[in-house]
Amino acid sequence: MRIAYVLNEAFNNIRRNGLVVLGAVLAVFVSLFLTFGTLIFGEIARVNTERWQEDVRVIGFLRTDFREVDALRAEIENWEEVDKVIYFSPTEALAEARELFKDDPRQLQIIEDEPSIIPASLRVRPVDLNEYDTIKQRLTNSPGISDVISADEAVQQIAAIRDGLRVFFWVLAVALGVAAVALIANTIHMAIYARREELEIMHLVGASNWFVRTPFLIEGVVEGVLGSGLAVATGIGLYNLARDRLADLPEFINLTIDNAFLLRWGMLMVAFGAVVGIIGSGISLAVHKYVRT
Amino acid sequence: MIRLHNVTKVYDRDVVAVREVGLEVAKGEFVFLVGPSGSGKSTLLRLMMREERPDTGEVWVAGKHASSLPSWKVPHLRRSIGTVFQDFKLLPNKSVYENVSFALEVTGRSRHVIRNQVPQVLKLVGLSNKADRQPRQLSGGEQQRVSIARAFVNRPLILLADEPTGNLDPATSVGIMRILDRINRTGTTVVMATHDHAIVDAMRRRVVQLDEGRVIRDQRSGAYEIRVQSNVAQPAEPEELLAEVEEEIEADEPLPEESVASSSDETGKAALPDEGPALPAEELSGEGPEVAKPDEPEAQTS
Repeated sequence: MRIAYVLNEAFNNIRRNGLVVLGAVLAVFVSLFLTFGTLIFGEIARVNTERWQEDVRVIGFLRTDFREVDALRAEIENWEEVDKVIYFSPTEALAEARELFKDDPRQLQIIEDEPSIIPASLRVRPVDLNEYDTIKQRLTNSPGISDVISADEAVQQIAAIRDGLRVFFWVLAVALGVAAVALIANTIHMAIYARREELEIMHLVGASNWFVRTPFLIEGVVEGVLGSGLAVATGIGLYNLARDRLADLPEFINLTIDNAFLLRWGMLMVAFGAVVGIIGSGISLAVHKYVRT
Repeated sequence: MIRLHNVTKVYDRDVVAVREVGLEVAKGEFVFLVGPSGSGKSTLLRLMMREERPDTGEVWVAGKHASSLPSWKVPHLRRSIGTVFQDFKLLPNKSVYENVSFALEVTGRSRHVIRNQVPQVLKLVGLSNKADRQPRQLSGGEQQRVSIARAFVNRPLILLADEPTGNLDPATSVGIMRILDRINRTGTTVVMATHDHAIVDAMRRRVVQLDEGRVIRDQRSGAYEIRVQSNVAQPAEPEELLAEVEEEIEADEPLPEESVASSSDETGKAALPDEGPALPAEELSGEGPEVAKPDEPEAQTS
């Protein structure tokens, strides 16, 4: 009876103030959507840059006629800016090429027709990310190396974009989060004001404080959860859309992130929405005389 | 039932609403608080319902030390107090029935209790046939009866009424007073602030007169003004009024004899309702005498 009554009151409030409630829900939505988007983007960036940072290599392709591979490798490994050198044999290179072009039958056909066009290579891991240029330079001048490529620019770009966007989005998300709390507080404030006569009578006849306040808390939580639920759904939806649409990105960018990550952070976002709702209605309940005895 | 000891209440630092008031109201008493506007009547009532705390002094209500009661315990105290106001304080978008059941719902009573109690109390105030009306479809007197029903549906120990007839014409006021009297007869203590000379003079109950926050008179079966006391003859006005009223509400018995005759009787107890026929129940709602017995078990526990 009591629970049913309290819930009923909460949903009646929401119904009566549709437009104001919508505003609060949208504020929570925008704020948490940006937060969730930032998280997803950050995770994609982390997954990608981490792979590069662990693995990052300057690749020196070897001339097919070069024979003193072991000597060269030993020499490069002695360079002080180099951490490790891996020899990638033609067989391994071919396997990698098959993997890289598995979605591209024409390229694959070319490789299969003439496997020797895939050269062996030395893959160099620098001690420090800043040593790329030196390594590139020295590798280019080494004997037996036909061509040098590195992933440094892409990696640095990703990292820079990631850091910039992170700051921007977090500032925006925090500002909008505060706005969301304020808008929920305002919604609850209006709901309290609209029902002040009823609340006054409730106090007069001896309704307990929790009985008077709980419907407003529930209203705040419902608004927070609606907004955050929408934000998470939209975030996941857009992420999936983007992943499918951007399948043609350069192969070194990996858009796939763990479903467990999405699930974990999605649930945390919804919980956070509930907290935003509680804080918002809590502020309103704390300042409003109609809900106090 | 209610005890105020040396109570002072000051608003805004320098407006003294109540000054060193001591007052004791026994269980089952009917007390009028009279005095000009601003004399502190409403403040006294607000102190009793713990809407206000005194600045000094102590207030006991229904066995509880109201002046020091923590606010989370106030709801519990309020359940033993019914309150009636000049402006009725009804919810305009709820029916008569819902307005009354609201008081039970928000204090968490079961549906069963609500279905039982609400019709009973509506019968008591004579509004059984208007349970589905909205307040705006009712006259002022009927609205006040709804608000009394709401105040009484919890079977409170105490009923506090702040000028319940202030917005009503004299005839309607008498109807309201009959209901309050009846509620008083169930053992409920009634404290009523009023400006209404006619009612006070006709009812002959205890009168506490306030002036500038002080109690200047506390008299058993008193009249509104002290000079009435010295006059042997009752002023004409109330009598005329009552005659008029009786025609209108088709009451077949006048108000109790002693209300006129015992104007010099200061022993008090003699004027209490058990003595005379006073206000027969059946004329209130016209619904038969059995209505006069709202069960009162809750009212007995204190």
